[in-house]
Amino acid sequence: MLRPAVAVIAAAASVVLVMSFTRITIDLRVATLALLMLLGGALRFRVLPNHPAALDSVALVAVFVIAGPWYAVAVAVFGYLPQLRQPSPAVKRIFNPSYRVLAAGGGGLAYAAVGGPVGEEVFHHVPMAFTAALAGTIGHQLTNAALVSIILWLEGQVRVGDFLRSVIAPTFLPMLGYSALGVLLAVMWIGGLGLSACLLVVVPLIVVRWALSQYQAERAAQAATLRAFIQVIETKDLYTRGHSERVSTGVGMLGRHLRLPEARQNALEHAGLLHDVGKVGVPTSIIRKPGKLDDAEMDTIRLHPARGVELIGNIPFLEEVKSAVLHHHEKYDGTGYPAGLSGTNIPYFARIIGIVDAFDCLTSTRSYRPARGIEETLAILEQDRYSHFDPQLVDAFVTVIRTHGWTAAAAEQPQPDATVEATIDHDDLSLGSSGGAAGSAAGP
Amino acid sequence: MILAGETDGLESRKLSSGVVIVVACGTIGLIALFITARRGLTEWPFALAFGLLVAVGEMVQFRVDRSRNRAPIATSAALGYMMLRGPALQVPPDLAQIVAVTGIATLLGILPRAVAGLGWDLVISSRRVLSVACAAAVFTLITPDSLSWNGSWTHALPLASTMLLAVLSAGIVDAVVGAGQTTERYNRPFPAALRDELVVMGRIGMAMAISGVLLAAGTSLLGLWAPPLVIVPLLLTQFAFRRFAAAQRTYRATVRSMARSTEIAGFSSPGQNARTASLAVALGNDLGLRPDRMEALEYAALLSGVGQLALADPSPGGASLLRNREERQRAAEIGASVIERSGVLDHVAEIVRHSNDPYRHGRANNSQIPVESGIVNVALAYEQLVGEGTGQSPDKAMESIGLGIGAEYDPVVVESLRRVVGRGFRF
Repeated sequence: MLRPAVAVIAAAASVVLVMSFTRITIDLRVATLALLMLLGGALRFRVLPNHPAALDSVALVAVFVIAGPWYAVAVAVFGYLPQLRQPSPAVKRIFNPSYRVLAAGGGGLAYAAVGGPVGEEVFHHVPMAFTAALAGTIGHQLTNAALVSIILWLEGQVRVGDFLRSVIAPTFLPMLGYSALGVLLAVMWIGGLGLSACLLVVVPLIVVRWALSQYQAERAAQAATLRAFIQVIETKDLYTRGHSERVSTGVGMLGRHLRLPEARQNALEHAGLLHDVGKVGVPTSIIRKPGKLDDAEMDTIRLHPARGVELIGNIPFLEEVKSAVLHHHEKYDGTGYPAGLSGTNIPYFARIIGIVDAFDCLTSTRSYRPARGIEETLAILEQDRYSHFDPQLVDAFVTVIRTHGWTAAAAEQPQPDATVEATIDHDDLSLGSSGGAAGSAAGP
Repeated sequence: MILAGETDGLESRKLSSGVVIVVACGTIGLIALFITARRGLTEWPFALAFGLLVAVGEMVQFRVDRSRNRAPIATSAALGYMMLRGPALQVPPDLAQIVAVTGIATLLGILPRAVAGLGWDLVISSRRVLSVACAAAVFTLITPDSLSWNGSWTHALPLASTMLLAVLSAGIVDAVVGAGQTTERYNRPFPAALRDELVVMGRIGMAMAISGVLLAAGTSLLGLWAPPLVIVPLLLTQFAFRRFAAAQRTYRATVRSMARSTEIAGFSSPGQNARTASLAVALGNDLGLRPDRMEALEYAALLSGVGQLALADPSPGGASLLRNREERQRAAEIGASVIERSGVLDHVAEIVRHSNDPYRHGRANNSQIPVESGIVNVALAYEQLVGEGTGQSPDKAMESIGLGIGAEYDPVVVESLRRVVGRGFRF
């Protein structure tokens, strides 16, 4: 289905292109307009790793105003040229320029339908030019989104809903705003600057692109730094290596199942990564101590959620991250620590992390026992609904694991050793009685 | 006594350049206001519209990088106003009117911030007015009155060129004044400070200046329809910058928090990392390091102890300070590999790796080792001698560090420490 659809789109684009060539005169001006589109296409920034968005929309609006929609259709292909540097399959090589022509046509249709002025008329009809530029941008974006959605749907690799939500939605309004820049570019072009007007308009765009890329870079740097930091803390105990990363992945899966909005999803994953960060304040001698811990040592371990909050308190996370770190050892029946909260008084994120935390601990090897199977662990979780966990969240988590599967801790962990007398991991549910000073079934 | 006197001198000097700037701005503003009042305002709708833009831009100022608050919209609007020409305007605003409108609008913009208790800085705003006044003077001098936006390139291109020259002069004036202030406040060598200011001007400054040119050219062609067309993208740009600035703050806070983990684990006393970093930054400023290297230096000083986390537990009373060299170097090596693992702080890792190497075995023979390692080494040593609780006098500490010059410590850095401490540096 993919190839016929691309063929139809390409045929439609060719027809539109040929029609446009009958309505324009090819001269030096067309060449400069093509150069303008080339610039617009070259200025790209990434919204998501696989979906670069070009600022060719701005250039396209400028061409609408300078020379009219037919010229825009004729030069739209040039916006695609900068992409040729990257290798891509033949189907894409045909589809990409075709949909650009059609999208330009859609925008041009909207621009003409509203009655947008062309050439020097713009000086006398500024509000009309801006309205038509908005209409043109909307038409361009909608045609664009529709065509790409069709192909993505046929390709079946990316969900169309996800594409619309994560790529089109966040760029739609900014693109409308930047269409003002397109009008301005056209005005200066006609006002006597010609192609050199590009220099003036391109500089602010480059700065925007720089700022957006810096934003991505800073976010990535923060994530990488947090990961490295968590790894240091986990070096204290060979058996918990990778635990925080896996909990972060697990809560991420559950969060997506619960359809959290983007910002909260990120916050939840951060909270999962950082939930045990306070363990840095627990002396290694206690973490590695063989055998049972006395009350004083247990109290030290029980301090780790508060230590964690103390440590990350200055990082401007959502407040939910901090409350999740503080309360991830609360239990549904109120027997947890540090505050002894029960039921839905426990923060939502803390309830989520509590489940995944226990799950990862049980499916990992400990010095005093081998790793448990996934089904066995899910059964333990379901058994502890109400006593330890939020029953609804347990059900959701069981569904998530059964549908998506789980990559348990790697086998590189040391094998359990019967001769070693080790502390019971503070997250461990399976060996109740020796678990904690409080004597509760779930350990400290 | 001598030290106290020095500190006072520092304080009063710090005060003086700001005062000079504000007084100069105030004087020029008052003169301009007086002249404008006598001659009368020309083209008042444009004065009103651009004044409003400057005031609003001043109200929504924010911090882009670490240096200071910025008001891109106010800057662009003020620059735009001074370069207005026909056909939209019969009479372009003269120099006095430009300064008067910008000055009054700036004051009106700061006022609500001051009332609401938000951050504001009269010196920074005065600098803006002064550099706009300079640019206006340049523009009026080099632009023939006959030029206007009549649609022909013979007018448009010369106009655009003089506009670019004018905004460039504004940028250079601001960079020179800014570099002077940095030199005064942080004791950075003036050429280094000027170089940094010019780099910043090349990015943010250029965007603001070009937006000013767009605003002026657009308004000259379209009349007052143009400002909204420029302001919408400008607001979007500002939004992008705010997000960037927020991400940067988050990242910096993350690194700070990581550094505090050694304190929570008991490997270092409270505030020790922050004190070491503040001294390292003072040394880096004194030696005139580039901003990106300054940032890496600060992070390295903050994170120099993380390697200890992988070692055994600290002895009670923070005896880790007294550990032998081998163990310190091993901790530095581990710390460096930890930092390297993040994949984004390679330069920081390199600094930390060599932060406990004695000068004689390290930098003296191996120019690959960055000077920042020597800075962190000296900062760590000085903090341990003088820092809270250990309480040696600065003179005494200087003396013992001086004994290790050339063998333990980098002579260049020790000289710098002498200057920094001599100027009255305190934790």
